[in-house]
Amino acid sequence: MDTEFLSGIFLKLLTGLPLTLNLTALSLLGGGMLALLLNLMRASRLGNTIAATYVFVFRGTPLLIQIFMIYYGLASFDAVRSSFLWPFLREPYWCGLLALALNDAAYTSEILRGGLRAVPQGAVEAGRVSGMSRIMVMRRIVLPLAMRQALPAYSNEIISMLKATALVSTITLLDVTGLARAEVSATYRAVEIFLCAAVIYLALSLLVTRGAGWLERRLSPYKFGVSA
Amino acid sequence: MSIPAIAVTGLHKSFGANAVLRGIDLKAQDGDVISLIGASGSGKSTFLRCIPMLEVPDSGIVAVGEHVIEPRGGILSRRDKVTARTIRSELGFVFQGFNLWPHRTVLENVIEAPIHVQGRPRAECVEEAEALLDKVGLSDKRDAWPVHLSGGQQQRVAIARALAQHPRALLFDEPTSALDPELVGEVLKVIRSLAEEGRTMLIVTHEMGFAREVSSRTVFLHQGLIEEDGHPDQVFGNPVSDRCRAFVSGHFQRNR
Repeated sequence: MDTEFLSGIFLKLLTGLPLTLNLTALSLLGGGMLALLLNLMRASRLGNTIAATYVFVFRGTPLLIQIFMIYYGLASFDAVRSSFLWPFLREPYWCGLLALALNDAAYTSEILRGGLRAVPQGAVEAGRVSGMSRIMVMRRIVLPLAMRQALPAYSNEIISMLKATALVSTITLLDVTGLARAEVSATYRAVEIFLCAAVIYLALSLLVTRGAGWLERRLSPYKFGVSA
Repeated sequence: MSIPAIAVTGLHKSFGANAVLRGIDLKAQDGDVISLIGASGSGKSTFLRCIPMLEVPDSGIVAVGEHVIEPRGGILSRRDKVTARTIRSELGFVFQGFNLWPHRTVLENVIEAPIHVQGRPRAECVEEAEALLDKVGLSDKRDAWPVHLSGGQQQRVAIARALAQHPRALLFDEPTSALDPELVGEVLKVIRSLAEEGRTMLIVTHEMGFAREVSSRTVFLHQGLIEEDGHPDQVFGNPVSDRCRAFVSGHFQRNR
Protein backbone atom coordinates (compact mmCIF):
# COMPACT_ATOMS: atom_id res chain seq x y z
CA MET A 1 0.00 0.00 0.00
CA ASP A 2 1.27 3.43 -0.97
CA THR A 3 1.01 5.18 2.36
CA GLU A 4 2.75 8.30 1.15
CA PHE A 5 0.21 8.71 -1.63
CA LEU A 6 -2.64 7.97 0.75
CA SER A 7 -1.59 10.50 3.35
CA GLY A 8 -1.03 13.11 0.65
CA ILE A 9 -4.50 12.53 -0.71
CA PHE A 10 -5.98 12.51 2.75
CA LEU A 11 -4.50 15.91 3.55
CA LYS A 12 -5.67 17.25 0.21
CA LEU A 13 -9.23 16.02 0.74
CA LEU A 14 -9.26 17.59 4.18
CA THR A 15 -9.04 21.00 2.54
CA GLY A 16 -12.56 20.32 1.24
CA LEU A 17 -13.78 19.66 4.78
CA PRO A 18 -14.61 23.31 5.60
CA LEU A 19 -16.96 23.48 2.60
CA THR A 20 -18.58 20.14 3.47
CA LEU A 21 -19.11 21.25 7.07
CA ASN A 22 -20.26 24.70 6.01
CA LEU A 23 -22.90 23.27 3.66
CA THR A 24 -24.04 20.75 6.25
CA ALA A 25 -24.37 23.27 9.05
CA LEU A 26 -26.02 26.03 7.04
CA SER A 27 -28.44 23.74 5.24
CA LEU A 28 -29.46 22.23 8.58
CA LEU A 29 -29.91 25.71 10.01
CA GLY A 30 -31.94 27.02 7.07
CA GLY A 31 -33.84 23.76 6.71
CA GLY A 32 -34.58 23.70 10.43
CA MET A 33 -36.05 27.18 10.42
CA LEU A 34 -38.13 26.41 7.36
CA ALA A 35 -39.25 23.16 8.98
CA LEU A 36 -40.47 25.05 12.03
CA LEU A 37 -42.33 27.44 9.76
CA LEU A 38 -43.90 24.54 7.85
CA ASN A 39 -45.13 23.08 11.13
CA LEU A 40 -46.60 26.37 12.29
CA MET A 41 -48.39 26.62 8.94
CA ARG A 42 -50.09 23.31 9.61
CA ALA A 43 -52.41 25.00 12.08
CA SER A 44 -54.56 26.36 9.25
CA ARG A 45 -56.20 24.29 6.55
CA LEU A 46 -54.61 26.16 3.66
CA GLY A 47 -51.23 26.17 5.40
CA ASN A 48 -51.54 22.47 6.03
CA THR A 49 -52.15 21.82 2.34
CA ILE A 50 -49.19 23.96 1.35
CA ALA A 51 -46.91 22.27 3.89
CA ALA A 52 -48.05 18.79 2.86
CA THR A 53 -47.51 19.60 -0.82
CA TYR A 54 -44.08 21.00 -0.09
CA VAL A 55 -43.06 17.86 1.77
CA PHE A 56 -44.54 15.68 -0.97
CA VAL A 57 -42.58 17.44 -3.70
CA PHE A 58 -39.23 17.78 -1.96
CA ARG A 59 -39.27 14.35 -0.38
CA GLY A 60 -40.59 12.71 -3.52
CA THR A 61 -37.93 13.91 -5.95
CA PRO A 62 -34.20 13.20 -5.98
CA LEU A 63 -32.01 15.80 -4.34
CA LEU A 64 -29.72 15.64 -7.37
CA ILE A 65 -32.56 16.78 -9.61
CA GLN A 66 -33.41 19.56 -7.19
CA ILE A 67 -29.80 20.74 -7.32
CA PHE A 68 -29.79 20.63 -11.13
CA MET A 69 -33.16 22.39 -11.37
CA ILE A 70 -31.91 25.25 -9.24
CA TYR A 71 -28.42 25.50 -10.71
CA TYR A 72 -29.15 24.85 -14.40
CA GLY A 73 -32.90 25.34 -14.50
CA LEU A 74 -33.36 28.73 -12.90
CA ALA A 75 -30.71 30.30 -15.13
CA SER A 76 -32.91 29.73 -18.17
CA PHE A 77 -35.50 32.22 -16.93
CA ASP A 78 -34.85 35.84 -17.88
CA ALA A 79 -36.80 36.96 -14.85
CA VAL A 80 -34.34 35.17 -12.61
CA ARG A 81 -31.29 36.45 -14.49
CA SER A 82 -32.48 40.04 -14.24
CA SER A 83 -33.56 39.81 -10.59
CA PHE A 84 -31.56 40.94 -7.59
CA LEU A 85 -31.12 37.27 -6.68
CA TRP A 86 -29.05 36.53 -9.75
CA PRO A 87 -25.69 37.37 -8.12
CA PHE A 88 -26.51 34.53 -5.71
CA LEU A 89 -28.26 32.12 -8.03
CA ARG A 90 -25.47 32.08 -10.54
CA GLU A 91 -23.08 30.87 -7.85
CA PRO A 92 -22.94 27.08 -7.49
CA TYR A 93 -22.38 27.47 -3.74
CA TRP A 94 -25.65 29.31 -3.15
CA CYS A 95 -27.57 27.03 -5.50
CA GLY A 96 -26.22 23.96 -3.75
CA LEU A 97 -26.95 25.38 -0.30
CA LEU A 98 -30.45 26.40 -1.35
CA ALA A 99 -31.26 22.94 -2.70
CA LEU A 100 -29.86 21.23 0.39
CA ALA A 101 -31.76 23.51 2.76
CA LEU A 102 -35.06 23.14 0.89
CA ASN A 103 -34.64 19.39 0.83
CA ASP A 104 -33.65 19.20 4.48
CA ALA A 105 -36.69 21.28 5.45
CA ALA A 106 -39.03 18.65 4.00
CA TYR A 107 -37.51 15.83 6.04
CA THR A 108 -36.95 17.87 9.19
CA SER A 109 -40.50 19.17 9.16
CA GLU A 110 -41.77 15.59 9.23
CA ILE A 111 -39.40 14.68 12.06
CA LEU A 112 -40.50 17.74 13.99
CA ARG A 113 -44.14 16.97 13.26
CA GLY A 114 -43.70 13.54 14.78
CA GLY A 115 -42.08 15.13 17.82
CA LEU A 116 -44.87 17.66 18.17
CA ARG A 117 -47.52 14.97 17.98
CA ALA A 118 -45.84 13.07 20.76
CA VAL A 119 -46.08 15.99 23.19
CA PRO A 120 -48.63 14.92 25.79
CA GLN A 121 -51.75 17.09 25.68
CA GLY A 122 -51.79 17.11 29.47
CA ALA A 123 -48.42 18.87 29.63
CA VAL A 124 -49.78 21.55 27.31
CA GLU A 125 -52.94 21.97 29.38
CA ALA A 126 -50.89 22.23 32.54
CA GLY A 127 -48.96 25.06 30.91
CA ARG A 128 -52.07 26.89 29.77
CA VAL A 129 -53.77 26.50 33.12
CA SER A 130 -50.76 27.98 34.90
CA GLY A 131 -51.39 31.21 32.99
CA MET A 132 -48.80 30.84 30.25
CA SER A 133 -49.42 32.53 26.93
CA ARG A 134 -49.64 30.39 23.82
CA ILE A 135 -46.13 31.46 22.83
CA MET A 136 -44.72 30.62 26.24
CA VAL A 137 -46.34 27.19 26.20
CA MET A 138 -44.75 26.66 22.79
CA ARG A 139 -41.35 27.89 23.89
CA ARG A 140 -41.10 26.31 27.33
CA ILE A 141 -43.11 23.11 27.00
CA VAL A 142 -44.06 22.06 23.49
CA LEU A 143 -40.81 22.66 21.62
CA PRO A 144 -38.48 21.35 24.34
CA LEU A 145 -40.52 18.15 24.57
CA ALA A 146 -40.87 17.81 20.79
CA MET A 147 -37.14 18.28 20.31
CA ARG A 148 -36.26 15.70 22.91
CA GLN A 149 -38.64 13.30 21.22
CA ALA A 150 -37.28 14.07 17.75
CA LEU A 151 -33.58 14.04 18.59
CA PRO A 152 -32.80 10.40 17.70
CA ALA A 153 -34.52 10.73 14.31
CA TYR A 154 -32.94 14.12 13.79
CA SER A 155 -29.44 12.77 14.31
CA ASN A 156 -30.14 10.50 11.34
CA GLU A 157 -31.13 13.56 9.35
CA ILE A 158 -27.89 15.31 10.26
CA ILE A 159 -25.93 12.32 8.95
CA SER A 160 -28.08 12.20 5.82
CA MET A 161 -27.38 15.86 5.11
CA LEU A 162 -23.70 15.42 5.80
CA LYS A 163 -23.56 12.75 3.10
CA ALA A 164 -25.97 14.58 0.80
CA THR A 165 -23.57 17.51 0.55
CA ALA A 166 -21.43 15.23 -1.63
CA LEU A 167 -23.91 15.83 -4.45
CA VAL A 168 -22.85 19.46 -4.81
CA SER A 169 -19.64 18.14 -6.36
CA THR A 170 -21.76 17.67 -9.51
CA ILE A 171 -22.12 21.45 -9.86
CA THR A 172 -18.38 22.13 -9.72
CA LEU A 173 -18.04 22.67 -5.98
CA LEU A 174 -14.87 21.34 -4.39
CA ASP A 175 -16.08 19.79 -1.19
CA VAL A 176 -14.49 16.55 0.05
CA THR A 177 -16.15 14.56 -2.73
CA GLY A 178 -15.49 17.24 -5.34
CA LEU A 179 -11.81 17.19 -4.54
CA ALA A 180 -11.78 13.40 -4.59
CA ARG A 181 -13.32 13.35 -8.05
CA ALA A 182 -10.80 15.86 -9.31
CA GLU A 183 -7.95 13.76 -7.93
CA VAL A 184 -9.34 10.62 -9.52
CA SER A 185 -9.51 12.36 -12.90
CA ALA A 186 -5.90 13.36 -12.49
CA THR A 187 -4.47 10.08 -11.18
CA TYR A 188 -7.03 7.34 -12.02
CA ARG A 189 -6.45 5.88 -8.55
CA ALA A 190 -10.13 5.68 -7.73
CA VAL A 191 -10.04 3.07 -4.96
CA GLU A 192 -7.52 4.78 -2.70
CA ILE A 193 -8.93 8.25 -3.22
CA PHE A 194 -12.59 7.42 -2.68
CA LEU A 195 -11.60 5.27 0.28
CA CYS A 196 -9.95 8.31 1.86
CA ALA A 197 -13.09 10.36 1.22
CA ALA A 198 -15.27 7.63 2.71
CA VAL A 199 -13.12 7.53 5.86
CA ILE A 200 -13.60 11.26 6.33
CA TYR A 201 -17.41 10.95 6.06
CA LEU A 202 -17.36 7.95 8.36
CA ALA A 203 -15.43 9.86 11.01
CA LEU A 204 -17.86 12.78 10.79
CA SER A 205 -20.86 10.44 11.09
CA LEU A 206 -19.32 8.91 14.17
CA LEU A 207 -18.93 12.35 15.71
CA VAL A 208 -22.57 13.18 14.98
CA THR A 209 -23.81 9.91 16.48
CA ARG A 210 -21.73 10.40 19.60
CA GLY A 211 -22.69 14.05 19.88
CA ALA A 212 -26.40 13.29 19.56
CA GLY A 213 -26.14 10.54 22.14
CA TRP A 214 -24.40 12.88 24.54
CA LEU A 215 -27.01 15.58 23.97
CA GLU A 216 -29.86 13.16 24.49
CA ARG A 217 -28.47 11.96 27.80
CA ARG A 218 -27.93 15.55 28.85
CA LEU A 219 -31.39 16.78 27.87
CA SER A 220 -33.40 13.76 28.94
CA PRO A 221 -31.52 12.05 31.78
CA TYR A 222 -34.85 10.67 32.98
CA LYS A 223 -35.01 8.36 29.95
CA PHE A 224 -31.79 6.66 30.97
CA GLY A 225 -32.73 5.68 34.48
CA VAL A 226 -30.49 8.34 35.99
CA SER A 227 -31.98 9.25 39.32
CA ALA A 228 -31.15 12.38 41.22
CA MET B 1 -71.44 39.70 51.13
CA SER B 2 -67.97 40.06 49.61
CA ILE B 3 -67.20 39.16 46.01
CA PRO B 4 -67.25 35.35 45.74
CA ALA B 5 -63.99 33.57 44.90
CA ILE B 6 -65.73 31.85 42.01
CA ALA B 7 -69.10 32.69 40.54
CA VAL B 8 -70.52 30.83 37.59
CA THR B 9 -73.82 31.80 36.04
CA GLY B 10 -75.90 30.09 33.37
CA LEU B 11 -73.09 27.92 32.03
CA HIS B 12 -73.89 26.01 28.85
CA LYS B 13 -71.54 23.74 26.95
CA SER B 14 -72.16 21.28 24.15
CA PHE B 15 -69.81 18.97 22.30
CA GLY B 16 -71.47 18.69 18.92
CA ALA B 17 -75.04 17.56 19.53
CA ASN B 18 -74.22 16.45 23.05
CA ALA B 19 -75.31 19.09 25.58
CA VAL B 20 -72.96 18.47 28.50
CA LEU B 21 -73.78 21.52 30.61
CA ARG B 22 -77.28 22.92 30.45
CA GLY B 23 -77.25 25.96 32.67
CA ILE B 24 -75.11 25.69 35.77
CA ASP B 25 -75.04 28.32 38.50
CA LEU B 26 -72.55 28.01 41.30
CA LYS B 27 -70.94 30.41 43.73
CA ALA B 28 -68.00 29.60 45.94
CA GLN B 29 -67.13 31.99 48.76
CA ASP B 30 -63.58 32.18 50.06
CA GLY B 31 -63.02 29.22 52.35
CA ASP B 32 -65.69 27.00 50.80
CA VAL B 33 -64.76 23.41 50.09
CA ILE B 34 -67.23 22.21 47.51
CA SER B 35 -67.29 18.63 46.30
CA LEU B 36 -68.89 17.92 42.95
CA ILE B 37 -70.30 14.45 42.53
CA GLY B 38 -72.32 12.71 39.87
CA ALA B 39 -72.24 9.83 37.41
CA SER B 40 -69.73 9.80 34.56
CA GLY B 41 -71.05 12.04 31.83
CA SER B 42 -72.97 14.23 34.24
CA GLY B 43 -70.74 17.14 33.25
CA LYS B 44 -68.81 17.68 36.47
CA SER B 45 -65.35 17.56 34.91
CA THR B 46 -66.42 19.70 31.98
CA PHE B 47 -67.84 22.20 34.42
CA LEU B 48 -64.57 22.35 36.33
CA ARG B 49 -62.57 22.73 33.11
CA CYS B 50 -64.80 25.60 32.01
CA ILE B 51 -63.72 27.75 34.95
CA PRO B 52 -60.12 28.31 33.71
CA MET B 53 -61.42 28.15 30.12
CA LEU B 54 -59.73 24.83 29.33
CA GLU B 55 -63.09 24.30 27.69
CA VAL B 56 -64.72 27.46 26.44
CA PRO B 57 -68.40 27.54 27.43
CA ASP B 58 -70.99 28.21 24.74
CA SER B 59 -72.63 30.78 26.97
CA GLY B 60 -72.72 31.88 30.57
CA ILE B 61 -70.54 33.97 32.85
CA VAL B 62 -67.47 32.84 34.75
CA ALA B 63 -66.04 35.14 37.41
CA VAL B 64 -63.00 34.56 39.59
CA GLY B 65 -62.88 37.37 42.10
CA GLU B 66 -63.36 40.54 40.11
CA HIS B 67 -62.25 39.00 36.82
CA VAL B 68 -65.21 38.21 34.60
CA ILE B 69 -65.44 36.33 31.32
CA GLU B 70 -68.58 36.06 29.26
CA PRO B 71 -67.89 33.96 26.18
CA ARG B 72 -70.37 34.13 23.33
CA GLY B 73 -70.91 31.24 20.97
CA GLY B 74 -67.98 29.34 22.46
CA ILE B 75 -65.53 32.04 21.43
CA LEU B 76 -63.34 34.21 23.60
CA SER B 77 -62.77 37.80 22.59
CA ARG B 78 -59.27 39.18 22.71
CA ARG B 79 -60.07 40.80 26.04
CA ASP B 80 -61.53 37.54 27.37
CA LYS B 81 -58.31 35.74 26.46
CA VAL B 82 -56.29 38.16 28.53
CA THR B 83 -58.75 37.79 31.40
CA ALA B 84 -58.59 34.00 31.03
CA ARG B 85 -54.85 34.09 31.65
CA THR B 86 -55.36 36.24 34.73
CA ILE B 87 -57.99 33.82 35.98
CA ARG B 88 -55.72 30.86 35.36
CA SER B 89 -52.92 32.30 37.36
CA GLU B 90 -55.37 33.01 40.21
CA LEU B 91 -56.44 29.38 40.27
CA GLY B 92 -54.55 26.19 40.93
CA PHE B 93 -55.72 23.28 38.82
CA VAL B 94 -54.96 19.66 39.64
CA PHE B 95 -55.60 17.14 36.88
CA GLN B 96 -56.68 13.55 37.07
CA GLY B 97 -53.55 12.56 35.12
CA PHE B 98 -51.13 14.80 37.12
CA ASN B 99 -49.72 16.37 33.94
CA LEU B 100 -46.32 17.20 35.33
CA TRP B 101 -43.83 18.47 32.78
CA PRO B 102 -41.65 15.43 32.13
CA HIS B 103 -38.58 17.42 31.06
CA ARG B 104 -38.40 19.32 34.33
CA THR B 105 -37.42 18.05 37.74
CA VAL B 106 -39.85 18.10 40.64
CA LEU B 107 -38.53 21.44 41.87
CA GLU B 108 -38.51 22.93 38.38
CA ASN B 109 -42.14 21.90 37.92
CA VAL B 110 -43.08 23.79 41.06
CA ILE B 111 -41.14 27.00 40.33
CA GLU B 112 -41.94 27.20 36.60
CA ALA B 113 -45.09 29.32 36.72
CA PRO B 114 -44.11 31.50 39.68
CA ILE B 115 -40.89 32.52 37.92
CA HIS B 116 -41.94 32.63 34.28
CA VAL B 117 -45.60 33.60 34.51
CA GLN B 118 -45.75 35.61 37.70
CA GLY B 119 -42.24 37.01 37.36
CA ARG B 120 -41.23 36.47 40.97
CA PRO B 121 -37.56 36.28 41.97
CA ARG B 122 -36.08 32.83 41.58
CA ALA B 123 -34.55 32.55 45.03
CA GLU B 124 -37.86 33.34 46.70
CA CYS B 125 -39.67 30.81 44.47
CA VAL B 126 -37.17 28.05 45.22
CA GLU B 127 -37.39 28.63 48.94
CA GLU B 128 -41.16 28.55 48.83
CA ALA B 129 -41.21 25.50 46.56
CA GLU B 130 -39.03 23.63 49.04
CA ALA B 131 -41.47 24.47 51.81
CA LEU B 132 -44.38 23.29 49.65
CA LEU B 133 -42.63 20.03 48.80
CA ASP B 134 -42.02 19.52 52.48
CA LYS B 135 -45.69 20.13 53.12
CA VAL B 136 -46.74 17.42 50.65
CA GLY B 137 -44.07 15.12 52.10
CA LEU B 138 -41.70 15.10 49.15
CA SER B 139 -38.77 17.28 50.14
CA ASP B 140 -36.42 14.37 49.41
CA LYS B 141 -37.69 14.22 45.81
CA ARG B 142 -36.73 17.82 45.04
CA ASP B 143 -34.37 16.89 42.20
CA ALA B 144 -36.10 13.73 40.98
CA TRP B 145 -37.72 13.40 37.57
CA PRO B 146 -41.49 13.00 37.39
CA VAL B 147 -41.27 9.64 35.59
CA HIS B 148 -39.39 8.20 38.54
CA LEU B 149 -42.19 8.96 40.97
CA SER B 150 -45.26 6.92 41.81
CA GLY B 151 -48.65 8.26 40.77
CA GLY B 152 -49.39 9.40 44.30
CA GLN B 153 -46.09 11.24 44.50
CA GLN B 154 -46.65 12.86 41.10
CA GLN B 155 -50.06 14.05 42.18
CA ARG B 156 -48.63 15.53 45.35
CA VAL B 157 -46.05 17.40 43.27
CA ALA B 158 -48.89 18.63 41.08
CA ILE B 159 -50.65 19.93 44.18
CA ALA B 160 -47.47 21.71 45.30
CA ARG B 161 -47.18 23.17 41.80
CA ALA B 162 -50.74 24.47 41.99
CA LEU B 163 -50.13 25.96 45.45
CA ALA B 164 -46.97 27.73 44.27
CA GLN B 165 -49.10 30.07 42.19
CA HIS B 166 -50.66 31.47 45.38
CA PRO B 167 -54.09 30.62 44.04
CA ARG B 168 -57.25 32.14 45.35
CA ALA B 169 -58.93 28.78 44.83
CA LEU B 170 -57.87 25.24 43.98
CA LEU B 171 -59.70 23.08 41.46
CA PHE B 172 -59.30 19.31 41.62
CA ASP B 173 -60.45 17.22 38.68
CA GLU B 174 -60.81 13.67 40.01
CA PRO B 175 -57.41 13.86 41.69
CA THR B 176 -57.32 10.23 42.77
CA SER B 177 -59.09 8.47 39.91
CA ALA B 178 -55.88 7.57 38.09
CA LEU B 179 -54.18 6.19 41.18
CA ASP B 180 -53.66 2.66 42.41
CA PRO B 181 -55.94 2.12 45.40
CA GLU B 182 -53.08 2.00 47.88
CA LEU B 183 -51.87 5.45 46.76
CA VAL B 184 -55.21 7.23 47.08
CA GLY B 185 -54.83 7.82 50.81
CA GLU B 186 -51.62 9.86 50.63
CA VAL B 187 -53.18 12.29 48.14
CA LEU B 188 -56.45 12.61 50.04
CA LYS B 189 -54.47 13.31 53.18
CA VAL B 190 -52.81 16.30 51.49
CA ILE B 191 -56.12 17.62 50.16
CA ARG B 192 -57.69 17.19 53.59
CA SER B 193 -54.92 19.23 55.20
CA LEU B 194 -55.57 21.99 52.66
CA ALA B 195 -59.25 21.96 53.56
CA GLU B 196 -58.32 22.30 57.21
CA GLU B 197 -56.22 25.36 56.35
CA GLY B 198 -59.37 26.99 55.06
CA ARG B 199 -58.41 26.98 51.39
CA THR B 200 -61.12 27.53 48.83
CA MET B 201 -61.52 24.35 46.82
CA LEU B 202 -63.72 22.75 44.20
CA ILE B 203 -63.23 19.02 44.09
CA VAL B 204 -64.67 16.72 41.45
CA THR B 205 -64.46 13.27 42.97
CA HIS B 206 -65.76 9.74 43.13
CA GLU B 207 -64.46 9.33 46.68
CA MET B 208 -67.81 9.73 48.40
CA GLY B 209 -66.61 9.12 51.93
CA PHE B 210 -63.89 11.72 51.46
CA ALA B 211 -66.30 14.21 49.89
CA ARG B 212 -68.70 13.86 52.77
CA GLU B 213 -65.98 14.27 55.32
CA VAL B 214 -63.97 17.25 54.01
CA SER B 215 -66.40 19.41 52.11
CA SER B 216 -68.51 22.20 53.47
CA ARG B 217 -70.90 21.76 50.59
CA THR B 218 -71.68 19.02 48.11
CA VAL B 219 -73.16 19.48 44.68
CA PHE B 220 -74.72 16.61 42.73
CA LEU B 221 -74.79 17.00 38.97
CA HIS B 222 -77.09 15.10 36.68
CA GLN B 223 -77.17 15.47 32.89
CA GLY B 224 -75.61 18.89 32.92
CA LEU B 225 -77.72 20.40 35.68
CA ILE B 226 -77.28 20.82 39.41
CA GLU B 227 -79.76 18.42 40.91
CA GLU B 228 -78.86 18.70 44.56
CA ASP B 229 -76.80 21.28 46.41
CA GLY B 230 -76.33 21.41 50.13
CA HIS B 231 -74.40 20.40 53.21
CA PRO B 232 -72.77 17.01 52.68
CA ASP B 233 -74.75 15.49 55.55
CA GLN B 234 -77.93 16.44 53.77
CA VAL B 235 -76.80 15.48 50.24
CA PHE B 236 -75.44 12.13 51.38
CA GLY B 237 -77.81 11.48 54.26
CA ASN B 238 -81.12 12.84 53.20
CA PRO B 239 -81.16 14.06 49.59
CA VAL B 240 -84.25 15.69 48.16
CA SER B 241 -83.67 14.34 44.67
CA ASP B 242 -84.40 10.69 44.02
CA ARG B 243 -81.62 10.47 41.47
CA CYS B 244 -79.15 11.80 44.00
CA ARG B 245 -80.41 9.30 46.57
CA ALA B 246 -80.00 6.45 44.11
CA PHE B 247 -76.53 7.60 43.09
CA VAL B 248 -75.28 8.04 46.63
CA SER B 249 -76.71 4.83 48.00
CA GLY B 250 -75.44 2.91 44.98
CA HIS B 251 -71.99 4.24 45.68
CA PHE B 252 -71.91 3.43 49.34
CA GLN B 253 -73.23 -0.07 48.74
CA ARG B 254 -70.56 -0.75 46.13
CA ASN B 255 -67.84 0.45 48.38
CA ARG B 256 -68.98 -1.39 51.48
